[in-house]
Amino acid sequence: MVLALVSHPENCTGCRFCEMICSLYHEGVVNTKKARLRVLKPDLLRDIPLVCTQCLTCGDSCCIQACPEMAISVVDGLVTIDEGLCSGCGNCKKACPYGVIWMDKLAHKCDLCGGDPMCVKFCPSGALTFEEADEASYTSMIATWRDE
Amino acid sequence: MHALGGNLLFVDLSTEEVRKEETPEGLIRDYLGGDGLATKLFTDAMSPEVEAFDPENVLVFAPGLFTGLPVPTGGKCLFMSRSPLTGTIAESVMGGNIGAELKMAGYDAIVIKGKASSPKILRIRNRFVDLVDASPYWGMTTREAQDSIRRDLKVNTVASIGPGGERLVRYAIIDCEDRQSGRAGLGAVMGSKNLKALAVKGTGDLTVADPKGLIDLALEWQEVMVNSGAYQDDSKYGTGEFFNWINEERGAFPTRNWQESVFDEREKVDPYYWAPRYTLRSKGCFGCTKACGKLFVITEGKYAGTKLDGLEYETLYSLGGECSNPDVEALARANEICDLLGIDTISAGVCIGFTMELVERGILTTEEVGVDCRFGNPEAVVRMCDLIGKREGFGELLGEGVMRASATIGKGTDRYAMHVKGMEPPAYDVRAIKGAGLGFMTSPRGACHLRAGVYALNLVGKFWRWDNVDRFSAEGKGEQVKWMEDFMTVFDSLGVCKFSRGFYYMEGYLPLLEKVLGWNLTEEELLRAGERTNNLKQLFNYSVGIRREDFYLPRRLIEEPIKNGVSKGAVITDEEMDQMLDDYLEERGWESDGRPKEERLSRLGLA
Repeated sequence: MVLALVSHPENCTGCRFCEMICSLYHEGVVNTKKARLRVLKPDLLRDIPLVCTQCLTCGDSCCIQACPEMAISVVDGLVTIDEGLCSGCGNCKKACPYGVIWMDKLAHKCDLCGGDPMCVKFCPSGALTFEEADEASYTSMIATWRDE
Repeated sequence: MHALGGNLLFVDLSTEEVRKEETPEGLIRDYLGGDGLATKLFTDAMSPEVEAFDPENVLVFAPGLFTGLPVPTGGKCLFMSRSPLTGTIAESVMGGNIGAELKMAGYDAIVIKGKASSPKILRIRNRFVDLVDASPYWGMTTREAQDSIRRDLKVNTVASIGPGGERLVRYAIIDCEDRQSGRAGLGAVMGSKNLKALAVKGTGDLTVADPKGLIDLALEWQEVMVNSGAYQDDSKYGTGEFFNWINEERGAFPTRNWQESVFDEREKVDPYYWAPRYTLRSKGCFGCTKACGKLFVITEGKYAGTKLDGLEYETLYSLGGECSNPDVEALARANEICDLLGIDTISAGVCIGFTMELVERGILTTEEVGVDCRFGNPEAVVRMCDLIGKREGFGELLGEGVMRASATIGKGTDRYAMHVKGMEPPAYDVRAIKGAGLGFMTSPRGACHLRAGVYALNLVGKFWRWDNVDRFSAEGKGEQVKWMEDFMTVFDSLGVCKFSRGFYYMEGYLPLLEKVLGWNLTEEELLRAGERTNNLKQLFNYSVGIRREDFYLPRRLIEEPIKNGVSKGAVITDEEMDQMLDDYLEERGWESDGRPKEERLSRLGLA
């Protein structure tokens, strides 16, 4: 068991503070497109925070397999991009079904802010939590996304 | 410059010319953004002889200075034009995503003139701006149009009008993802310009002076908000949380077209009844920490399938008490119809309540109205909203607003037409909240609770600089309204939700402005930006002929004391109305007919 970011769409108000704060914390600018998570809004009734920390076992669209440099791996339970190995080809971003990898010259994804995720701090409604997530709960979280 | 998109965009729909200018820093220093910036750009570009539906009317979209940044509850976008309802300068503010998206696309304001030869969408993808054929979407409801345009044009956010705006309902709204710029008919201005929607995709950066400092400060403010009573109330019950407090403990909830001031059949309209039964969850605007929106869903019965972000306090009055409608499901459906067809629930409800009173008095017959439009008939409220939004049957006339409808009907019906400057009033019986009565009078866009927001300070008795305020007294209201108008204008200029006014006041903004912009402003300088804006608005209104008599309240509030509840007997006399107005004009430094004096203008740098 490791600590993971867990999304609870039933609590999400759709305010997107998480996206703003993620980009400001990591990139020093506010730009929701540079956030390492995003809130999917398929319609009026649904706001779904998409996050990736534990390997989501994305099957055919696996970022780990898509990376020709083998720069992506699971380190201490966290899917991690080794930016020293990244060539910036963008294959992982194309592969990612949840759109939570963004590219400038290199690929970037959630690194849990070094162990104290800002998005969770700024989510008073409890749509994002940082908790011990077993495989079953993570699988069910992904299942709600896959319906979209 | 930090916090800005960086550009002003000027669009002429007649010639399809698009021009960009770098946002002048001096303009932001003097007017901040949002309301202030829009007012400056509007008044510079507009001539008094141009009427609301003339092609040359100017329409401005302006996100606030903090919009798009992680300032808790600061994600608003303001729309401004000459109102087809009041003929005055009018602004209307919405939450949603559109303001932040515009900023990230690189724009602090869009100034639109002219009229497109056929229905168009203004599409903005960062620096690429074009006009796209909107004929496939013309006639669509707001929700359908936005979903389709977002998908077809590959943009992130769309603000659109509905059929109500296309058919020039004088109180048509602009909608973005179920949040509305509701008041004063700016949707009809879009409709008159053949502009169906604004479609935006922005991927640019917004910078701030001190990222780390801003994150820490934002977190502090979030904690203050989350630990407040207001957070608990808003999360559970939305903006109508205090509904029955106003209704029973203050006796100031207008009912039956303002004939009564307590809604006795309120049980099921009260959020304490409906929120636990119908609310799926809370919904927040972009950047909102304390989500007051409620996803209201009806799953069975006659109105099954109804779903909306509501019900707001104002609508509990307009489509509820005002029409004596005790059925919350019919109320929700009527609200959804207003949102989808794109009309303001407040004005629509007052138009329906007005019609109901005329039927009650025998001035109109059910045959003439075509609907069994009587107080207490929930179905009539639903039906009438549909007719108004589509401008069919009697809805054709009611789409003109209550002032024009009463003029057309004649027969002395103007005494039942509730409005100031042509705009229908919101849910505060000002006979029992006299300061709010003055606020209705002085608001540039007609009867409005939000320009000054003095209702709260009068109802509670204290706020900001004041204590022991007597809501039944006319004393001291001029000073309160003047300063609160300037205070609220700062909120609209920064793009922060007014529901946060009890958190930030003015002093809360000073450290935020430092982290965001590196500015060291004083409270006085901020308020002066608000005052400058309000003087520009009044200069415009004076130039189009708004005079003292246009400030006056509807006669019912002067001649008919409140009939029921704890405020029974309260009324605003002619003398009190004049006294409050004179106090206000003196505080403003304006002549008794409303003209701003040179002395005040030069002090504000406007002469």
